[in-house]
Amino acid sequence: MGKSAKALRTARSVASAAIVLVVGLVAGGGTAWATGTSTSSEASADPVVARGAWLATAADCIACHTAPSGGAPYAGGNAIHSPVGTIWSTNITPSRKDGIGNYTEAQFARALREGVRADGERLYPAMPYTSYTLLSDADVHALYRYFMSGVKPVDVPAPRTKLAFPFGVRGAMAGWDLLFNRSGRFVSDPHKSVEWNRGAYLVNALAHCSSCHTPRNVLFAEDVDRRFAGAHVDGWYAPPITADLRTGIGAWTTTQLVDYLQTGDVPHRALVAGPMADAIDHSFAKLDRADLSAIATYLLDGIPTPSASSAAQASGSAAAERDEATLRGVSRAAQPSGAQLYSGNCAACHQIDGNGTRDGDAPSLIAISDVQRDDPDNLIMAILHGVDREGARPRLMPAFANEMNDQEVATLVNYVRERFGTGTHATPVSSEAVHRLRSAAN
Amino acid sequence: MSSEFDADVIVVGSGVCGSLVAHRLAKGGKHVILLEAGPRTPRWQIVEKFRNSANKGDPNGPYPDTRYAPKSTSAGYLTETGGTPNHPSYVRLVGGTTWHWAGAAYRFLPNDFRMKSLYGVSRDWPIEYDELEPWYGLAEHELGVSGPDDADQSATGRGGPFPPRSTPYPMKPAPFPYMHQRAADILTAGGYRVLNEPTARNSQPYDGRPACQGNNSCTPVCPVGALYNGSVHAYKAEQLGVQLLTESVVYRIETDSRGRIVAVRYKKPDGSDHRLTARIFVLAAYSIETPKLLLMSATSEFPNGLANRSDMVGRNLTCQPECHQGFLGKEALWPGRGPVHPQTFFVARDGEFRKHHSGAKHVVTNNAPNAIIAGNLLKQGVLGPNLDEMIRDQASRYIELSSQHEYPPDPNNRVTLSRTRKDALGLPTPEIHFNRDHPYFLAGAEATRKEYEKVAALFGATPYSPLHWVHPHTQGTTIMGADPRDSVVDGHGRTHDHPNLFIVGPSVMTTTGTVNPTLTASALALRTADTVLREL
Repeated sequence: MGKSAKALRTARSVASAAIVLVVGLVAGGGTAWATGTSTSSEASADPVVARGAWLATAADCIACHTAPSGGAPYAGGNAIHSPVGTIWSTNITPSRKDGIGNYTEAQFARALREGVRADGERLYPAMPYTSYTLLSDADVHALYRYFMSGVKPVDVPAPRTKLAFPFGVRGAMAGWDLLFNRSGRFVSDPHKSVEWNRGAYLVNALAHCSSCHTPRNVLFAEDVDRRFAGAHVDGWYAPPITADLRTGIGAWTTTQLVDYLQTGDVPHRALVAGPMADAIDHSFAKLDRADLSAIATYLLDGIPTPSASSAAQASGSAAAERDEATLRGVSRAAQPSGAQLYSGNCAACHQIDGNGTRDGDAPSLIAISDVQRDDPDNLIMAILHGVDREGARPRLMPAFANEMNDQEVATLVNYVRERFGTGTHATPVSSEAVHRLRSAAN
Repeated sequence: MSSEFDADVIVVGSGVCGSLVAHRLAKGGKHVILLEAGPRTPRWQIVEKFRNSANKGDPNGPYPDTRYAPKSTSAGYLTETGGTPNHPSYVRLVGGTTWHWAGAAYRFLPNDFRMKSLYGVSRDWPIEYDELEPWYGLAEHELGVSGPDDADQSATGRGGPFPPRSTPYPMKPAPFPYMHQRAADILTAGGYRVLNEPTARNSQPYDGRPACQGNNSCTPVCPVGALYNGSVHAYKAEQLGVQLLTESVVYRIETDSRGRIVAVRYKKPDGSDHRLTARIFVLAAYSIETPKLLLMSATSEFPNGLANRSDMVGRNLTCQPECHQGFLGKEALWPGRGPVHPQTFFVARDGEFRKHHSGAKHVVTNNAPNAIIAGNLLKQGVLGPNLDEMIRDQASRYIELSSQHEYPPDPNNRVTLSRTRKDALGLPTPEIHFNRDHPYFLAGAEATRKEYEKVAALFGATPYSPLHWVHPHTQGTTIMGADPRDSVVDGHGRTHDHPNLFIVGPSVMTTTGTVNPTLTASALALRTADTVLREL
């Protein structure tokens, strides 16, 4: 199928998706979906600015617009690695010299929803304006007020994005936007509950989950037909979050999903790593449980609550404990076994039986999704690059890239999946798969 | 850097001091080669060897024991000719001996730098505390030290914070384990001053390393990397472009006729010979191998070895004689939970008494005593369920006291080259001559013995094992001083005799003080690195 035919087919899908969203027009549209309050410690006395601060947290603007390792908030300089090159996030502080201090509200709204800068140039869709287009007028106004008066101006320019031809021609984005930006406000579904609609707004307009969790087509647009079906991003795997019982999160209870968004750690269900850990620490963990419940209600829509938890046994792996005993008093083999690599690298925190410490500070690996899943990438990435959790419960798993070679990591991954997962995996992980992920940015 | 040299700077030794220097020079944009005699060893291999070891109490146990770079405990390597076997403790691999330390990271007190002027003992340093203070702060940041910001660390009752600090500790101290909460109460009631020991151990995630998980095996190895060791900066330096050459045993430093250092020669395990040139050279091979290298580099111009017009190279071999004694108390205190040295106590760390006898740092150690207790019960023929019960009971009540003492530099205590013995590479092995007989120390040891009686009484404890001594923290063998006639390096670590040769590590320390040397040596090393940067 030629590229233009494929694009047209996608455009038709886009149109049908738009119709789904448009079902049930709501008159007026100023209803404040997702009535969260700001949990920021610098909560403004001005309720509109406070609302804007909360919206910025829910939309996690800070994740992309702040340079890692101590960058000033919202001053840009975060490198986003795309298949077409490095895209640098911009300075969105109200600096008149280097930020958006000169933007009118109309220009701000246009950037946010249509991906067009004040000078008329197009933004790249690393900026998820295809999601933010759903934001209500009131919310865009609050965000504008927040960024103009609630954020400290930083007079330091962010690096300029320069992609190679033809991607460097920003004007070409006009065509892309025509095809792929649905460009319309969120419209609630009158057949669904208030909570469902609140969740829909949080997921689609603010948290922009589909930016990572939806696979993209050759033109780097979200494949609307496969919304939430999972995608690889920078070496990590954003897993399916459809309500499918087997491949998605349909088997999760609402409580599990809410707990996960709040802490990233649901024993024997899931343990977060990679960019989702940052999203939880900087965004989801700061929303209140009512909002997280709304998200869960929306994502788990229509699925009956499972009668019994489908999580695996709460006890650790007896087989792993037996493995440990076989290591003692035996000379080290030329090639280390999975058991030895687990014992030497992992067991001091995750314990011999893989079930972590009693207080959960070193978490259990038993039956968590990254261990169970056929796609091994998240487990490989966590071992190579570590996991750094901030927030209420700071915890850190160090990076082991320097401690083991590709074959050793592959051996360890296969051991962990076999001992601590409940499924069987047809294809063992190879050292080539590990090598490929070593240089993945994180 | 011109192609005239292989590097701007060559650093010999990838322990904490050498790696800090290499890293800081690379951050300053210099091209550095970091030479390490031993191998590059991943942590998991050391951990697995420890777990498979029958002798858990040997700090050197799980570390590489190679023919080409023997460690201090390698059979047949060190010979001792003095009245007191010194048994220095060091290993040779990337990261050096901080792989097996307990992490104590105290600053010296201002008075520690002026022992001669104030107390008529030992020597004065050529620098003061205030000059080193910013470097202490930098070292604490680089290593990741958790400590009490407001404490009076002189333990003289003067009120804290003391010594003065311009930066806070990077991390707060971890809370005391149960045993040390009880010990703090008991010792304080007895008139002692109790301190959270500042340690290079993460009490929270820091610098890509997790917080302490309480594995209690710090010596010999931390399984999770919460405890700092020199490989952190060796690998950081490598990330910045430093060439880390392992299994490279430097055996000769070459000079020109004017005394300018021009090259080092090193051997690989296969015996092959290699030569590298640089503008500036920094020795960081610890207190036995650094003087050994200088002595091996003798020429007709420098018949006593390099940097040795003073005849001080290898002399003034000091340490911090450390006594240990086990007691059995009445109360179940459960040693072995958490890190091995969370706490220290003092009568006083400084004061007029230092005119008359050594100061000492006292510790209620926190090592799990199960192996000691089990071994002794088995020797007594206890078996069966009774054995389990008694291990549990006695291990819970076991208290080990440990104290390290300052020791004055004595030129007769020294390391020289063996005239008869050579290692596998054909290099002369080190010969140690040590007598632990200085009256200043002996008086201090006697004072400690009396404190142990007092402390035992406070805990209602009786002696379980005899007092025994070890000699950690070898220092002084390339001593720092203002006078080139009786010292090897100046206040910046530059050798008096060779302007482009510097030395870092505890071998430069003028006095031992009562506290562990690593933080002071690290601060001095960072200061030396900046001196080197200014030269380039």
